[in-house]
Parts: sequence; structure tokens; C-alpha cells
Amino acid sequence: MPLEPQTPNPQSPEPPPPQNQYPQEPPTPNQQNPNPATLEPTPSQNQIPNTPYQPFAEKYRATSFSSLVGQDTAIETIKDFIQNFPKTKKRALLLHGPAGTGKTSIALAAAKEFDLEVLELNASDLRNRAQLEERLKPASQQQSLFKNKGKILLMDEVDGVTGSDRGGIPELVRLIKETKHPIIMTCNDVWQSKLSPVRSQSQLIELRPLSTQTIAALLTKVSLQESIKENQHFLNQIAIKSQGDIRAALNDLQAYASGDNPLDPDVDEKRDVEESIFNILKKIFKDRDDVRNLFDSSSLSLDEILLWIEENTPREYHNEALAKAMLALANADRFRGRIYKNQSWRFLVYQNLFQSNGISFAKPAPLDGFTKYERPKRILKIWLNNQKIAKKKTLAQKLARHTHTNTKRALKDINLLKPVLQQTQVQEQLRLSDDERAFLEK
Amino acid sequence: MPQSDIWTEKYRPLLFDQLLGQQEIVKRVRSLVQAMNIPHLLLAGPAGVGKSTLALIIVKELFGDQWRENYLELNASDERGIDVVRQKVKDFARTKAIANIPFKVIFLDEADALTKEAQQALRRTMENYANTCRFVMSCNYSSRIIDPIQSRCVIFRFKLLEKKDVAVVIRRIAEAEKLTISEEAITQLYEASEGDCRRAVNLLQATASVSPDITPDMINMISAKAQPKDMRVVLDYALAGDFTNSRDKLLDVMLTESISGEDVIKAIQKEIWNLQIEPEIKVRLTEKTGETEFRMTEGSDEFVQLQALLASFVLAGQGKAT
Repeated sequence: MPLEPQTPNPQSPEPPPPQNQYPQEPPTPNQQNPNPATLEPTPSQNQIPNTPYQPFAEKYRATSFSSLVGQDTAIETIKDFIQNFPKTKKRALLLHGPAGTGKTSIALAAAKEFDLEVLELNASDLRNRAQLEERLKPASQQQSLFKNKGKILLMDEVDGVTGSDRGGIPELVRLIKETKHPIIMTCNDVWQSKLSPVRSQSQLIELRPLSTQTIAALLTKVSLQESIKENQHFLNQIAIKSQGDIRAALNDLQAYASGDNPLDPDVDEKRDVEESIFNILKKIFKDRDDVRNLFDSSSLSLDEILLWIEENTPREYHNEALAKAMLALANADRFRGRIYKNQSWRFLVYQNLFQSNGISFAKPAPLDGFTKYERPKRILKIWLNNQKIAKKKTLAQKLARHTHTNTKRALKDINLLKPVLQQTQVQEQLRLSDDERAFLEK
Repeated sequence: MPQSDIWTEKYRPLLFDQLLGQQEIVKRVRSLVQAMNIPHLLLAGPAGVGKSTLALIIVKELFGDQWRENYLELNASDERGIDVVRQKVKDFARTKAIANIPFKVIFLDEADALTKEAQQALRRTMENYANTCRFVMSCNYSSRIIDPIQSRCVIFRFKLLEKKDVAVVIRRIAEAEKLTISEEAITQLYEASEGDCRRAVNLLQATASVSPDITPDMINMISAKAQPKDMRVVLDYALAGDFTNSRDKLLDVMLTESISGEDVIKAIQKEIWNLQIEPEIKVRLTEKTGETEFRMTEGSDEFVQLQALLASFVLAGQGKAT
């Protein structure tokens, strides 16, 4: 499970204001509006968008549903929940998912969209029973201070309600049962046993890690707005490295961009990473040795290393050694799949062994000589291709709807039906856009 | 029906009697529909044998002209996640059916594309809306549908269409569109489409867009164009010992022609038997291919698995088995 505190959390160091009432700004379409999201009426609200020292992750925190990327499902659910409250089945929502997927942003955006006042408690606040009772209970019952304004209670990071917050969870459950306002909670790991009473009282929404494409697109946008010299390849690398954590990606972008030489691919840290992966690859491919602890010191994840090995194996191995190595890699990947499918983290051991010793011992004897290793190209290729076939996808969706089939099938049918789809009357029946028509002409 | 010049739509059967090759199923479904009350249905079978068509006929029979207001088509593989499915189901089921029938019908295509968890969630949804909604689900393999859902449905297993059935469809269209088509061309259409009627009709229309005179050669040419054609090139590189080019080409084909690993593996599995290698090695390669396909259904990375397979082809090219 990724840990949250990779980022400066602007909420943590300060105690919450005494009244807990967050003066909500009127909804504004200005999506660049910095930081309306935090609890504290801090100076951050008065910052102009280009203040250099504000973390990108806060500056570009999505503040409305329309600016939240990649989480449409969750948005629909939360809208539905707030609109129907209190006639919803459960009186609380529990947003869960890895770090940087937008749990807090979604909750805050929801408040903004519905013009609700937010009462937020996060991990920095003591959340034992007495505290909760004292601070949340009145709030959960009273009307908002601002007339006509509804309210939501946001319990950020409920998995942070720990042993020292004695009685916190049972009190929370009691609050949920009695509340007159929607309660929204966030956590990383919803399946911990201590959360089980909360779980049964809440509607769960899972936020998945964002796709590399989504993150890369956002990074591109931010670089434009920040006038960072843009290098798409590099942005993609940041996006890939973030593994779906948008906050980490924005932090990385800012870190690289703050140098005098923005987005120079030879940024030190990156060079370090590459040096270390080159050494790893050299050891695996050249030596014939027990290398099972080799990855421990690397800052790259096993999955990233797997991609590097995949890219470079044919540069080193041929024939039998190649076949054996690719088989070992396929086995590593197979266990990777099982880990993801069943959350069986125990299988990491196997993934690790197959992609270290499995590769190293695939050859009959150590190798020497110099090999130039390359950075994995596959993900970039996939990304580029997705950009390229975006038109084809929307076309396939229309064809699928029209012919009562699914998009996957329609994508295949397009290859066959291309001459038919070029006919004007068919294009009208499918209501094709100009872009889609242009695609068919190619 | 909005008018359509895509033949799979234009000539889609509208009545039970027009649905070919599935007489047993039609008989049973028709009697259910005549009682104006259908249970949840699970239609299992390969692509292009009439699952969606049957669902459409059912709703048209049930609701007459108002079928569109009472029918929702969802694609499990298109809709992102079960939450979307559930939301749409909820919105749709919230209002009562407009017709004389107390329920609406939801057609969930490719239900086997849903994960086990999503299916569990769907099972609750089916129960919660049982009064207002009937589910008609389609899948390729009923084994991929969890038992609790299977037990809530009446299951119909569709057969692959026989040549005579596809021939009837082809002739009917050929006549209406004023095409000339020989017996051999019909055979060719059937073989190229492997009993998948949608594909046969698409292939016919693609060929007809070139010339109304349908010949086996033309069909061959058109269908070869739409095949994952470069698969042979990929294998040839591998057999010649050029692994790097082989896999680059593979990724290229998969991306530009948007074909899935599953399609690739199917093409490879067929192609093995056309290769110039020892039959014994072909058997070993087939075994590898099957294992690769299984791993892909298990959730492994398609490309990593396919590369391992390609590496076996490199060895096969040297007369060695792995």
C-alpha cells in the first residue's frame, strides 16, 4: 500500500480553526483558483495562481467535477449520494483507493458543486471518542451557520484513526447513524479489520489509480500553464513513474521544473535512477550469480524493472538463453498478475525470484562485453498509439451502438467495413463527426 | 428502427421465425414471451450466432412499438466498471415500464467480461430490481459467469451456425441487394467467417462495395486485408532467429490494428500448422500456445506472455523444442 505522506500536507502542521466552520467561497467556474480545498482559511486562498512556492499538487487540485480527471464513476456515485441524502441507503460514503487518486479532491469538489459547507477533520486532528463527540456531533445535528447552506462532514484518512484515538471508530459509527448531513470519509485500505464497522455503515466508492495517459495529459496542461519547456517524452516518464498517483506526478514535475534548466532529461535524480537500473541490468545479464537481493536497493518498483528487463533481454541473450529468460519473465509476470488479482502480496517473492535469478541463470555462462541498454519503449508506444487511434475508438463506439455490439467487436469490424463506412448515407446514419470521417479517408 | 445501410442491421431478423439455426432455443423463448413474463436469461455462445438478435426480438415482441423505452443495452466490456453499470441500471429501473408489462428489459452484453467482484455486485442488483427489471445477459463462456448468477437465470446455449443457415442469410441478402454469388463464394464466405454470421454479412457487404459480382477470390482478398495479416511476418522473423524484429512487429500490429492478445494467439495457433517445421515441434508449440492463452485469461500481461512464446519460435526455427 502506498503511503500518503509523500507530499507536503498543508493541513497537517496547523491545528484546525476553533469553529471548524470553513467559510465557503461561492462556486466559481475558475478552475485555477488555488487551494479552495483546504480547511484552514490560510493565506493560500489569497495567493495568486502563479505564486512560485505553492506545491503544484495543491495549486492544481481539482476543484470541480469537470476538472477532476479519470474518476467519472466515482463522481456519478457521489452526486447521486448527495442529491438523494438522506434517502440514501447508507448515510455515509467511504472513498477508498491508493494515494493521489483524488479522494479528498472529489469530496471537496462535491461540496463546491452543491454549494455545501465543509467540516473537515483529518489525521492531524485527534479523533478519539470525546473529540469526535465534541466537535462532530453538534455539527452533524445543527444547521449550517450560513443560512440555506447545507453541510457535509469530511473525515479524511479514516484509516489514520489509531489506537490513541480511543473509541474513535465506534463513535464514528454512532455519528453515521444519527447524522443529518452527509458524511464523507476517505481511506487507503478499506479492508483493514478495524474499519469493518464503518464499512458496513457506508457506501463504498473505489478510486482506481489513474491511467498513465490521464496523468501525462494533465502534466502537459500544467507545463503549459506554468510555461515549463515541455518535453512529452519526459512528461510520459514522470507519468509512468507515478504509477497512478497524480500528486506524486505533480510533485515530480515541480521538482524537475524548479531547476534552472527545466525538464532537461539529464536531471540529476533521473540520472541516478538510470545509472542504478543500468547497473542492475548489467549484473543480471552479465553475471551468472545469485542476484535475488539486487532490486532491494533500487528506487524502481519490481514492475518497472520488469519492463526494463523485457526491453533489454534480446540485446543480451539469444536462442536458448533468450527463450529461458523470456519464460522466466513470463513467469514473473504471471505472479504479478496474481498479486494484482488477489492482492496476494506473498507472491512478490516469486515475481522477484523469476525476474532476478530466473534471468541471470538463463544463460549457460557469464557474459562480458559492453551492451547499451535502452529505456523501455513499450508504454510510450502504447500511449502514442492511443492518441493516434482516439478517432477510431469513438467511431467504433458509434458503430457498436448502431449495430448492437460492443466496441471491441466494432473495432475489428471497422477494418472490414471501411469501404462501407465511407459511404455518405452510412456516415449520416452513424452521425459521424468530421474528424471521424477524415479518419476513414486515410 | 432507424434506417440503416449497414447490412447486419438492415437484415437483422425481426421475428422469431427468421432466426436461423437455433430452433430449440427459439421454441422455448417464444413460449416464455407469449406468457408475457420472462425470467432472467443467460445467452451463452460464440460471437455472431444471434444472441443480441434474440434479445431484440424478445423486447419487440413484448413491448411492440414501445420497445425502445423499455430496453437498455449495456456492454460490460465498454462500460467502465460495475459502478457505471449499476448506476445506469438504477436510473433505468427507477421508472416503471410504460407498456402493459410490469418490467423492463436490460441486455447486458459480454457479461463474462465482468470481474468476479463485479458479478457479485450485479447479483445483488438483479435481486434488488427483480420486480421492475429482467436481465438478458450474453456471454461467450458460461463458465466465466459465477454460479449465483447462473442459478438466477435460464441458460440457453447457442450453437455455432451451420453452413446451410449462413447460406440462407447470404442468399436472402444477395437477392435483395441484386448481387450475383456462386455456391463456391458462399462456401468461401462461410469458411472465412467461421460460423460467425455478423462477420459473414460484413464480409459480404465489404466485398459487394467493390463489385456486385461476388467471387471466392474477391472474398479471399477482402478478408485477408482485414486479418491480423502480419502475424505470419511476426512468426517468420522469429523462426529466422530475429527476435527483436519479431516482437517489435508484434507490438506494432497489436497497436495499429487494435487487436487483442487473444486474437493474436488465435492467429498464431492456426498459423503453426502452416509452418515449415517438424510436426513434433508443432505439437510442442501448440502446447505453449495454449498455456499462453490460458495465462492471458488469467490476467497476465499479454505482451510479456506473447514474447515468451515468440522466443520458443526462435528455438523452433533451429529445429529445437523448448
